[in-house]
Amino acid sequence: MNLGLEFKKTKRTGLIPAFAAGGILAASIPILNMAVRAEMYTGLVAAPVQILLDANWSIMSMLNLLLITVGATLLYHAEYENNALQKMCSLPARESGLFFGKFLLMILLCAMTLTLEALGIAFCTAHWFSQSAGLSAGLCTEILQNFGYELLLLLPAAALSLLLASACKNMWVSLGIGVICVFIATILPIGRFVPSLFPFAMPYRLLAGTAADIALAIAALLELSAISLGEIILIKIRRSLT
Amino acid sequence: MNIIQTTNLTKSYADYTAVSELNLHIPQGSVYGFLGPNGAGKSTTMKMLLGLTRPTSGSFTIDGKQYPKDRVEILREVGSFIEAPAFYGNLTGRENLDIIRKILKLPKSAVSDALELVAMIPYKDRLAKRYSLGMKQRLGLAGALIGRPPILILDEPTNGLDPVGIHEIRTLIRSLPQKLGCTVLVSSHLLSEIELMADIVGILNRGHLLFEGTPEELKQTVKAQGCPTDNLEDTFLALIDADNSHRGAIQGGAR
Repeated sequence: MNLGLEFKKTKRTGLIPAFAAGGILAASIPILNMAVRAEMYTGLVAAPVQILLDANWSIMSMLNLLLITVGATLLYHAEYENNALQKMCSLPARESGLFFGKFLLMILLCAMTLTLEALGIAFCTAHWFSQSAGLSAGLCTEILQNFGYELLLLLPAAALSLLLASACKNMWVSLGIGVICVFIATILPIGRFVPSLFPFAMPYRLLAGTAADIALAIAALLELSAISLGEIILIKIRRSLT
Repeated sequence: MNIIQTTNLTKSYADYTAVSELNLHIPQGSVYGFLGPNGAGKSTTMKMLLGLTRPTSGSFTIDGKQYPKDRVEILREVGSFIEAPAFYGNLTGRENLDIIRKILKLPKSAVSDALELVAMIPYKDRLAKRYSLGMKQRLGLAGALIGRPPILILDEPTNGLDPVGIHEIRTLIRSLPQKLGCTVLVSSHLLSEIELMADIVGILNRGHLLFEGTPEELKQTVKAQGCPTDNLEDTFLALIDADNSHRGAIQGGAR
């Protein structure tokens, strides 16, 4: 119900075309990279998907994070711009439902973007890595595992972006903070576990097949719970102060 | 029977008290005119009744339901319009009302019914951001009237309307108790407007309720105080002036 309403509210905001365009742009990165310097990667000894992700994922995930930041800002800007949020709060629905509805929508949009990116990786693998002989079931599973994991790691950043956007009436403030967070994440040593716990740094990590993967997935879920709790507290504080 | 009743309702901020120990009694089926100059605490009171802001102390009941325990149930019965029209600019008037309809779980016909009540049918498919101020005001009113709720809380609903629009909305509000059987709490800083709509008047100044009763009782009360009663506008101004001088004297004395 909330998801349907939130979807309806995005009409004519350009949000869905923006995510689709962002997904296509991110998907074109490995394709362009391979088109320009395929010989650098085809000779490497590793799984093709791993080679492609190692080579392109940092720029792809930065694009994803920027999309999330802009998307969250747009979603709440529609609420604040003409005071619609006040009307929503005077209706018989929980205010937190607004946040969770937007979060569900954000998950769907991220899934759409990641699917486009996965198709880009699949195309590169099938086209440039001769040993993979087209799209095998094994390749599809590997891509699904990697991108499913990336979706999970994107969730804390999506929730945090929404929390920032819901806290700031002025969209430029939340957008500015979000962009700063994206760039802070790029300078963190994400190879180490603790720095990669920063929600905006998490999506830079790749599925490595180690115990750290599971630890990071659990941390993502814990962060998600903490951010959701933060939103509920924010709603209560705002009601007391206004 | 009072459908809305507040008991010592107070809202304080760090440096001032917006509403002080307010005791309102709004009978079912009446139009209650909530009158006061700008900054008197009318909007704050209405926001408290809608759960948009938390009272510092005191309590209120709406249709026998207690805030905050029954907040969602209260809001199910109340249609509201607070301060300024609230809408999604990227959606049309019809789409805006459809969102409210879905939250209120009303049938699809409720949207056209509300649009018809405020004479907005011809503009229903225009983007809300392209509406004139008067149209936005009407859309806000349609959002309050959708589903014909038993209680309406309207904060200065005729702001921004032209004289014809003011007359239409005033007539509509006046007719609501008979037409829909609802109770209306309507605020304004213009006594002339309230006089034409309300059965009962509550006058608020600096967060304090100065008077509550019928316009006739108001005249009698101020007459007893030696204030002019020839026209209600003068009566209202005299009442506010007297209260301001009284509070000024108290504050001066305290210093």
